[in-house]
Amino acid sequence: MPRTAPKVLSSKLTATCLLQLLLCATVPAASAASLAIHVQKKDGKPLVGAVLTVAAESPRLPPAAPARAVVDQVDLAFVPDVIVIPVGSTISFPNSDAVSHQVYSFSSARRFQLPLYRGKPYPPVTFDQPGVVTLGCNIHDNMLAYVVVTDAPFFGRTDAKGEWVAPNLPNGSYRVTVWHPLLNDSGLSVARVVQIDGAERTELPMRLARSLRPAPITGRPHSWDY
Amino acid sequence: MRVARVRAMLVLLATTSSAHATDWELSLDARAVESDGRQSFLDRGQGKLRYDDSDDGLHLGRFRAAVNQPLGEVFAAHVEASSWGDEDKNPIDLTEAYLEYRPYPRAGLRSRVRLGAFYPPMSLENRAVGWETPYTITPSAISSWIGEEIRTIGLEGQVDWLGTRTGHVFDLQLTGALFGWNDPAGTMIAQHGFAFSDRQTTLFGRAGEPRSDQFAKNELFHEIDNRVGYYVGAQGRYLDRLVLNGLHYDNRADPMAYKASIRDFAWETKFDALALRAETGNGWTVIAQWLSGATYIAPGGHWLEWEFESRSALLAKRHGPHMLAARYDDFDVQSDFGGEDGHAVTVCYSFEQDERWRFALEWIRVTSDVDARQFLPMPEPPLATETKVELSVRYTLKGTL
Repeated sequence: MPRTAPKVLSSKLTATCLLQLLLCATVPAASAASLAIHVQKKDGKPLVGAVLTVAAESPRLPPAAPARAVVDQVDLAFVPDVIVIPVGSTISFPNSDAVSHQVYSFSSARRFQLPLYRGKPYPPVTFDQPGVVTLGCNIHDNMLAYVVVTDAPFFGRTDAKGEWVAPNLPNGSYRVTVWHPLLNDSGLSVARVVQIDGAERTELPMRLARSLRPAPITGRPHSWDY
Repeated sequence: MRVARVRAMLVLLATTSSAHATDWELSLDARAVESDGRQSFLDRGQGKLRYDDSDDGLHLGRFRAAVNQPLGEVFAAHVEASSWGDEDKNPIDLTEAYLEYRPYPRAGLRSRVRLGAFYPPMSLENRAVGWETPYTITPSAISSWIGEEIRTIGLEGQVDWLGTRTGHVFDLQLTGALFGWNDPAGTMIAQHGFAFSDRQTTLFGRAGEPRSDQFAKNELFHEIDNRVGYYVGAQGRYLDRLVLNGLHYDNRADPMAYKASIRDFAWETKFDALALRAETGNGWTVIAQWLSGATYIAPGGHWLEWEFESRSALLAKRHGPHMLAARYDDFDVQSDFGGEDGHAVTVCYSFEQDERWRFALEWIRVTSDVDARQFLPMPEPPLATETKVELSVRYTLKGTL
């Protein structure tokens, strides 16, 4: 999505990183290192806002601790429109618009419906299965957002340079997965296995083999149908 | 405890009622017009434009009031009323009024049902609220005709396969409808051929003025033969970039049937329509439309046929609130009494400042060869070139009750 990562999300990510630090401190490891992941599109330009998950193949590590997140509805759009959360986390869906919304998902990882509402009438929704959950509004067809629910201990999103650094990884073998809403098979993702073996910082460049879909058209007045 | 429970219930009630609040919209569209058009088709003439050479000056283009009322969880009522600043039967009247059923999508499929009076899903140009085109002031010949003569008064069902929500690049939609109360559709295209006008005929109003007392009263939304009409349509989409829409329409009217109270026949009208819209991420839009059909009446068993066809191509560039659009239309009507042949060029600059103000300046030139011009009470040469420059200033207010 072309929207830059909003402040809500970055504060969430900071909170998540803190959680990871706490989590890593409890893992018995000979040494810890950071993993810097650089993701490029097929044309070599940075892939911004990609969701990265780092799952431990050996040793096995538990998922990150569940978090409480917020996906708001502002000016007929979900904010943020991409969010990554650990399995077991909750998301509340306030509606800050004057018009009513009707949020739904028919994704197998989490099916739910929030009947027509304004304000914040419903308790948060729990996401207890890993997978990509596509959100929509049954009143406004153009509203679209994705929740990536992960059981990986480490996760984040690439910045404007297409980078994200996973800090304090114990030595071991990890599977790094890239997901982006504009990947051609958005149900699938791109994965690589990487070894962390005592080096202070491991660099992992990744480049997509296929082009992304065109980004959704922005700036059309709300009074038009799509 | 009890107080808390009562308070919680009150809060819940308030939330529920506010979620089902009425969304309303009012807009006023004022026009300044300079036209050299022949006497308008809306005023007993064979001119192709809404405003003719007697209309220079200021006009009420449209006053529009719309209401959307959710009813329960998955139903909503939608009502559109308009006033066109001319001498119609009712100073303000309905253009659309329907009940919509929108259940939640399941397993990638979404269904929708509409019951009432509304437009068939065929114009990729008239995508703005109130069935208006955002690209120009005056819609294409095809959309102008639909707005003048066609309305579904009946039941429509739609099924969408939401491919883009399930990891694919395509969406598909199928539509089918059964309708009545549109048997006079065809009267206008036989009477004056295609035209260029954003004036939509209202459900209880008239399409312009009757040309003579001998002919139709121009009330288009009547049931004459008690036969049900239908249309079927399909739409395919590639992401949000490309839309292809097809529709087959047949009102299945009995061309022998006649209704004395409106002095009109049941016109058996059928047509096929195709439309394509392509948009790019940097604001370019291309819309191509095609419509081809025929209408029949059989007074006293003597069959009369009018065949009509129109094509249009539009190119638009949007840059923030600015938009520049150009469109070419081509149209013809053939019958045993002669017909018409013509084309039009429209150029429009519009500025949508915010949700309240929109300004548009349009230039349209229609060149047409219309046989019926020779048979007007004041005969005119069949060939005419009509030009109109129009400024539209629209102010919109909306809110929730």
